[in-house]
Amino acid sequence: MKLSQHYTRTSVYATLTVLVIGAVIYYFAINYIGTQQLDRALQQQLTEAEEYIRSNDGNPQLYDLDRDHAVFVKTNRQLLLKRFFDTTYFNPKEQRSEAGRAVEDLVKQKDSNYKVVITVSRAGQKNLIELISIITLALLAGLLAVLFVINKYMLNGLWKPFQLTLNEIKQFNIADVNQFKGKPSKVDEFTELNGAIREMSLRVTHDYLNLKQFTENASHEMMTPLAVVTTKLDTLIQDETLSAEQLGQIAGIYSSVNKSSRLNQSLLLLAKLENKLVTEEEPISLETVIETKILQFQELIEKKELTIRHTLYPRQIVASKYLVDILLNNFFSNAIRHNLPGGFIIIDLNFDQLSIKNTGAANTLNGQQIFERFQKGKDSQGAGLGLTLVKNICQLYGYTIQYEYETGWHKFVVTF
Amino acid sequence: MKILVIEDEQGLRENITSYLNVDGNICESCSTLTMSLQKLSDYDYDCVLLDIGLPDGEGFGVLEYLSIKQKTEAVLIISARNSLDDKLKGLNIGADDYLTKPFHLAELKARLMAVYRRKAFNTSNKLVFNEISVDMQGRTVEINQTPIILTRKEYDMLLYFMANKGKVISKNAIAEHLWGDEMDMYDSFDFIYTHIKNLRRKILEVGGRDYLTSIYGMGYKFTD
Repeated sequence: MKLSQHYTRTSVYATLTVLVIGAVIYYFAINYIGTQQLDRALQQQLTEAEEYIRSNDGNPQLYDLDRDHAVFVKTNRQLLLKRFFDTTYFNPKEQRSEAGRAVEDLVKQKDSNYKVVITVSRAGQKNLIELISIITLALLAGLLAVLFVINKYMLNGLWKPFQLTLNEIKQFNIADVNQFKGKPSKVDEFTELNGAIREMSLRVTHDYLNLKQFTENASHEMMTPLAVVTTKLDTLIQDETLSAEQLGQIAGIYSSVNKSSRLNQSLLLLAKLENKLVTEEEPISLETVIETKILQFQELIEKKELTIRHTLYPRQIVASKYLVDILLNNFFSNAIRHNLPGGFIIIDLNFDQLSIKNTGAANTLNGQQIFERFQKGKDSQGAGLGLTLVKNICQLYGYTIQYEYETGWHKFVVTF
Repeated sequence: MKILVIEDEQGLRENITSYLNVDGNICESCSTLTMSLQKLSDYDYDCVLLDIGLPDGEGFGVLEYLSIKQKTEAVLIISARNSLDDKLKGLNIGADDYLTKPFHLAELKARLMAVYRRKAFNTSNKLVFNEISVDMQGRTVEINQTPIILTRKEYDMLLYFMANKGKVISKNAIAEHLWGDEMDMYDSFDFIYTHIKNLRRKILEVGGRDYLTSIYGMGYKFTD
């Protein structure tokens, strides 16, 4: 829900509540005042009637204040408490009953006591309340309408600078040279927001550059000692007095150094991928690259007596040549290494996807785990980063990668 | 061949210098940008080995200096940065090749020879070792004027050995030279054996001598 809707909702609820409570209080107040006034009028009539009866000896029943609105009943009671009460009033003009207000009292005429009841109509007061209610309702409706209009047009206008800022943030790319600018606004809050975002983007860009620097420095710091070890070994093996056993030890060191330098390269590449530091892109014809790869791996394929079949439709992608190379190297070396002797590799490339499947061990791999770092098979020689690199390269270009197992076939599908 | 090694890491510098100081090569070295510029202004070299990350500045300064002074030294960059930006930048401002650390000394020497020959003999040149003659341009090999047909891998291997003659080359170095990163070391050792066997056979068939010595468990040596 949009902020303006939230605001409208809250303001409407608040207004409605206040107005409803106000109307109720208003109603009771008017009712009370009206009743007070009627009671005063009744009191006056009662006083007049009493005076009349006291001064005239005639039958009080003959006294009619306003045509039958005063009723005298002879009673034996000596005491009757004066009281005002709501009752119905019969309007002789209109010939119908209306709400009325009455007073009851005891009047003495010589020896006899009379109970007198005077009734008046409340119709006037009711009309007044109705009128006031209508005006209140109309006010309420008007207020709501005004609130809606203000929220719809005024608030949206107010939030315009926010929308502009938001759009700019969405387009912000850390690798871009373009910095966040932010349109100047007359509203203090938005100016402050733009300022804060500008500062943040500067800081983030700075950190990003630092990180890039760090990646390169880390590479340098780790690769140089490895280079020293390698060249020292290269020098050491020139010694002709070395025994077979010593040479065997050196061979072991060679392969460990080689492993750690590859591991280091993979880790640095992963860091680069995760920080989106690889930005070189060029159009690449995948079908050509795949054909070249098949030739490159020919020796390995022949050694394992594998049969490779491929259906390649032209598909051009825009990506880093280096990364595509790593991607395919991983697919190929996996498909060869984990294949059975005399097995098959089938490669399909079309506009939507690239699929590579190979025959292999008759058990499915964990489709989630295989893409995790340092997850490797029993007979894998690598560090277990190959498929992680594959996944991250795919992510970088917005491709999806899937693993499927189907009765002896292991299949990797990249969907562009 | 006169070579200048510009590298700040002492261990690396010493090993490179001692490995290259054979066959009448003169190899000098220095560890900073300032010193290297001094040496380059005082002497002429055939080849320069250049580390990009120097303590007093980026090695690119050397390339700029060489291009301003119009000097013709062949430059091979050795860098720990495996970054395409650096590679392109180096090659654009006058480097002849780019080698990423860690590397084998044999690889370094082979690359160095290649850039030197390219620059000095303008690509049309023959590499001769006793009865073996390699035409670099046509990529053909003759033994006692009898041409032999080599596969690409065998040809690359022969050149690699000839560039490092008299040196023991480990199987790791050969594998990296022939296949780069694409293959696991473990897989490639068998192929090396096959290629060596074929190369040796082809040379012997036309009356060449066997210069290849196998060093048990370690690698091979191409020697008189």
